[in-house]
Amino acid sequence: MNRRTLIKNLALVAGGTVLLPSCLKSTGQASVHLKHLNINADQEKLIADICETIIPKTNTPGAKDLNLPRFVLKMVDDCTKKKDQIAFMTGLGEFNELVKKKHNNNFSDLSPKEREQVLADLEKSGKPAAEQSRGIKPVSESGKSLDVVKKKPDVPPLTLFYNTIKQQTIFGYTNSQYFMTKQIVYELIPGRYNAHFPAKNLKAV
Amino acid sequence: MANLNTQSAKERTFDAIVIGSGMSGGWAAKELTGKGLKTLMLERGRDVKHLKDYPTTNMYPWEFEHRGVIPADVQEQNPVINRCYAFREDAAHFFVKDAEHPYVQEKPFDWIRGYQVGGKSLMWARQTQRWSDFDFEGPARDGYAVDWPIRYKDLAPWYSYVEKFAGIAGNKDGIPELPDGEFLPGYPLNDVEQYFSQHVKSKYQNRHVISARCAHLSKPNQIHIDQGRTQCQNRILCQRGCPFGGYFSANSSTIPWALNSGKLTLRPFSVVESIIYDEKLGKATGVRIVDTNTKETIEYFARVIFVNAAAINTNLVLLNSTSHRFPNGLGNDSGVLGKYIAFHNYSAHISAEYDGFKDWTTDGRNPAGGGYIPRFRNVYKQETDFLRGYASGFSAYRYKQHKYDGVGADLKENLVKGELGPWHVGSHMMGETIPKETNYVKLNAKQKDAWGIPLLNISVDYDDNDEKMKKDYIEQLTEMFTSAGFTNIKPSVNHQAPGLDIHEMGGARMGLDPKTSILNKWNQMHACKNVFVTDGASMTSTSCQNPSLTYMALTARAADYAVSEINKGNI
Repeated sequence: MNRRTLIKNLALVAGGTVLLPSCLKSTGQASVHLKHLNINADQEKLIADICETIIPKTNTPGAKDLNLPRFVLKMVDDCTKKKDQIAFMTGLGEFNELVKKKHNNNFSDLSPKEREQVLADLEKSGKPAAEQSRGIKPVSESGKSLDVVKKKPDVPPLTLFYNTIKQQTIFGYTNSQYFMTKQIVYELIPGRYNAHFPAKNLKAV
Repeated sequence: MANLNTQSAKERTFDAIVIGSGMSGGWAAKELTGKGLKTLMLERGRDVKHLKDYPTTNMYPWEFEHRGVIPADVQEQNPVINRCYAFREDAAHFFVKDAEHPYVQEKPFDWIRGYQVGGKSLMWARQTQRWSDFDFEGPARDGYAVDWPIRYKDLAPWYSYVEKFAGIAGNKDGIPELPDGEFLPGYPLNDVEQYFSQHVKSKYQNRHVISARCAHLSKPNQIHIDQGRTQCQNRILCQRGCPFGGYFSANSSTIPWALNSGKLTLRPFSVVESIIYDEKLGKATGVRIVDTNTKETIEYFARVIFVNAAAINTNLVLLNSTSHRFPNGLGNDSGVLGKYIAFHNYSAHISAEYDGFKDWTTDGRNPAGGGYIPRFRNVYKQETDFLRGYASGFSAYRYKQHKYDGVGADLKENLVKGELGPWHVGSHMMGETIPKETNYVKLNAKQKDAWGIPLLNISVDYDDNDEKMKKDYIEQLTEMFTSAGFTNIKPSVNHQAPGLDIHEMGGARMGLDPKTSILNKWNQMHACKNVFVTDGASMTSTSCQNPSLTYMALTARAADYAVSEINKGNI
């Protein structure tokens, strides 16, 4: 067994133990092809619904319209350390359990309002919001330090799971073509440097 | 058969061979071909043609698979290159991955490399500050390394020469320790940078905050247009290669110029195994390479050889060029080859905020990156308990701050809205380090690379002088920031290994005495007159200014001398 397979299996075990009850009815494969994570169709739907709750469709496109759930999974799969991937899967299981216990239902079966409430409660308890604002840099500067959670080894899996999804959803949203062309104006070729510019004239860039 | 070999040898014979195609190699090729020499340029990596081979140059952030982030497995497999600030998804293809070209770290050393035509001139930080006699006279005055065999006046006309061609933006600041050059219009300081500059000027003697001088075409001259380059468009995506040729690189400037002369043969995929020394003739006759595609060993011949493989690899080539005459490496009668390696100490930073100029900000992007504080320590006299000093970067900026808490429609709105935060200011240290015999590179006795060339052992470390200087930087900048009314002042030190500054120098140093140096005042080997070394390996000391401009000037000067020596029949 090579290292990759081993870790994949470990992730399965770690996530699987907690997931067992909800796994009973879920056998479908995820639609997105992943290299490291083992995600089934239900889990994929859950992550998509969390993304959509973070960035919902309003009179402008939401997470699903912008394909952000797929992006979040890709980033967790490609750009997250193995140990955090394992914690992510564990956290996913805990998230499911928590919602079931509190609401006697699956996250995806809750109303949009209830879903917002679940995430708001989670932010309050795990204080991920404070970590978020420290961890996310302005879009134009975002980069390697994106993964704030990796510097905090003691973050519980549930917090890590939620922080990761939120962070990557925001990262994906603010770096999407829609956001960078319609909400702000990303300039590939500014062609200027004004060293003395009135703050009130500053556009969203 | 014999006839065929003769013919083939003829085809493999040039007037000059340049080993390396980066910052200094490009200049060697341009100057040598410009003086009519049929020149072969050898590059160990692949070709990177200006415009054609910049695959990411026009990509928008959302077009990158991971929006700029390097995948975790690549990060884990490449701890050294991953520490480089420019190793991101948009430029990763220009950097050497750790496993591709191993070396032995006797002490931690982050060796940052770009193996392609253009070398690191593609991804460099483009800062171009001249050295002065406060630098060239440093070793003699302070008693370290050996005396530089040249002074500022020897190099000044060559600084002018390369500046005019490369295109350097800057202001004439009239500071003796940072001589003025041939400048295109400088980029302006913003309000807070300007304020700090004025404050420092009023409060301190001989401390200056100026607009950093950089290799950008703020306003191109005809000579730049003739190179096919146009005005810098303030993209600051330079590490991808520039579609405008807005900054200087070998790819956009010197190499195409040399190719246009019709005198240059560019040979990528050519790892130099060694320089061939002819015992009877008492000079180098050529270069032995390994073709990285065919693994074939081929010899090329020339009257004069320029070694521009980038500091550490130049040492490797010379150390591996052994003969009966030079058992310890070409030109190494003194035994100093590979020793006295030094670098720049970039291990301290300081940040703060400024509660002023709230109605003002900046718009667009500044290619100069902001301000530059020339060395002010131990300039006119020794005044501290450490030798030499440091230059400092300085910049001020503000950006929109967003609220990231909560979810839903409010969060969505907050991600757009945001409020312009306070002015942030930041500075980083660029310290001179003292070359020492104990900081060295040497050939590994056992391990070889894929082409049968010994791996290099690198043993380079900080010392007590560096620690004291770092402490002083923090103290002085804290004091200057405090006095300027900056708040929330946060000094920080990192423990980055030498090498990550990407300013490694020395090993084949210039000097007056063949007993203690490898090269004379013309960057010519004392003991093998038709070999010239004009990259970072030739540096006797490091100063604290960014070194590339000095490599360019040394190269143009050495090429001019080499050709005059050829014409006189001396080499």
